[in-house]
Amino acid sequence: MKCSEVERVLPELVDAAPGSAFPADFESHLQSCPACADLVSDLKLIASEARDLVGTDEPAPRVWVRIAAQLREEGLIKDAESRPILVPASPPRRWTSTAWWLAPVAAAVLAAGAYVVSHNPTPQVATHVSAPAVATPVAQNSAHTSPDIPPKPPVVASVSQPIPATHPSSPKSAKPRDVVASAAPPTVEPEASAEDQQFLSVVSTRAPSLRATYEGQLQRVNANIREVQAYLDRYPGDVDARQQLMDAYQQKALLYQIALDRIQ
Amino acid sequence: MAGLQQARIDYTTTVATVVLVTCLSAATLAQTKKEYSYTVGARANISVETQYGAISVKPGNPNQVLVTATLMSDNVEVDQQQNGNRIEIASHLLRGNQQQTSRIDYELLIPPDANINLRSSNGPLSVERLQGDLTLEGSDAVVDIRNVENGHVHVRTMRGPITLTDVRNGHVEIDSIGGDILMKSVTGPLVQARSSSGRIFYDGDFGSEGDYKFTTHTGDIEALVPADVSAAFRAHSVLGRVRHDFPLQPRHSRFREEAGRSFFGTSGQAASEVLLRSFSGRIRLKQR
Repeated sequence: MKCSEVERVLPELVDAAPGSAFPADFESHLQSCPACADLVSDLKLIASEARDLVGTDEPAPRVWVRIAAQLREEGLIKDAESRPILVPASPPRRWTSTAWWLAPVAAAVLAAGAYVVSHNPTPQVATHVSAPAVATPVAQNSAHTSPDIPPKPPVVASVSQPIPATHPSSPKSAKPRDVVASAAPPTVEPEASAEDQQFLSVVSTRAPSLRATYEGQLQRVNANIREVQAYLDRYPGDVDARQQLMDAYQQKALLYQIALDRIQ
Repeated sequence: MAGLQQARIDYTTTVATVVLVTCLSAATLAQTKKEYSYTVGARANISVETQYGAISVKPGNPNQVLVTATLMSDNVEVDQQQNGNRIEIASHLLRGNQQQTSRIDYELLIPPDANINLRSSNGPLSVERLQGDLTLEGSDAVVDIRNVENGHVHVRTMRGPITLTDVRNGHVEIDSIGGDILMKSVTGPLVQARSSSGRIFYDGDFGSEGDYKFTTHTGDIEALVPADVSAAFRAHSVLGRVRHDFPLQPRHSRFREEAGRSFFGTSGQAASEVLLRSFSGRIRLKQR
């Protein structure tokens, strides 16, 4: 058999059932011709894979069960989890026992925000840091790159002036605008609160693909709250900043509400 | 040898095509459309909730609600019920939670005065030419509202951008955590927009006797107004830059004005009150 004759019988090879016999000269040609042997081998593989592809859009549940069992054996997931974590559960549309706490938590977030905002501590004179009057620029706000709006002044790390005791909204209270180091978010993210951990836990259980999204948004609103809070610690009488803090808490409550709506 | 190579390529292409066509055919066959019709009275309340999918609402017959649902697979079904003047439509996931196969797109024709409540995770949500109250919610949904009047407009998203165009006499409350908010010709007794990191852009004349509040944390705020705008402005960014290239008359204020951080002033008869506030975002008022 020649190579051209092999080509002619290739369609039969693909359509044939696995293990079907072919003429002896066909097999002997394959043994003597590496090119044809490779071609036949490739076609058999493609045909086999194609049959499997048509039958399944995604792996059967038993595959996930086996993977989960193997992961459990290897200690990568806990035995306490009774169901395979890789199988996304169909979320019920109404209230569930695992999400009931989100509503009061959202309300608590708002209440906490309202308390923090309304709790107006007596303005006090900040400790005067007498030593170095040199302020070291440590950061520029990278968001301000538009040519028509100048960048923000550099943020400095040390206090070089006394903080006035008078109410910042008073016309006489000169607020040192170049001294805002404490308003900058900390570089090390503090651990999430218990409520936040619970929130993320429920989200990851009910909507695994969304965990990263909600986690990112939660970090962002928490960072905003910390940023404003740090600023208010330094300028407790700034009414605008106080309102910003309330807004930041409302944004966090909004995140909880959206998550609750989505996962219930 | 060249013939063999060509045969290999041809056969590979053929098999791949067959697989692709089979998959596409299966997807097409799985898509089904369902239509529902309801008779309602004035100011009907209509609610549509879907985990995944678009919702589009337009005005139709004054006493009739027509709903066309396009189901992308048999993994989902439509739950629907009418209780008097209230209609509830909801997607019901039967199995799985795949975005593509769990999707239902809705198109509604409703009485122009009906109140609607729409919710979809990924949207988009679009509403036009209505006069009732509108409540739209979606975490990542793109929201587009245009040509509506006389109603409450409440929108909430997590990251989805929100666009309002030609909203008249509305009680507007927009909240987004990370989405941009764009408003063009939006007026009413109350127009409030809040975004944490999203940008707020307003292009309009701030109507008359309205209360406008735009707030961000890190997002920028920009307002583009005509020369004859009638409003009292107050803008303040705690850490961001604030500027205006618009002639304003000085106004008395209990707040302290700081160059580059805040400004106060009026234009015309100061019919509306406009507050632009940010923590670290930039604020700019421009003349159109």
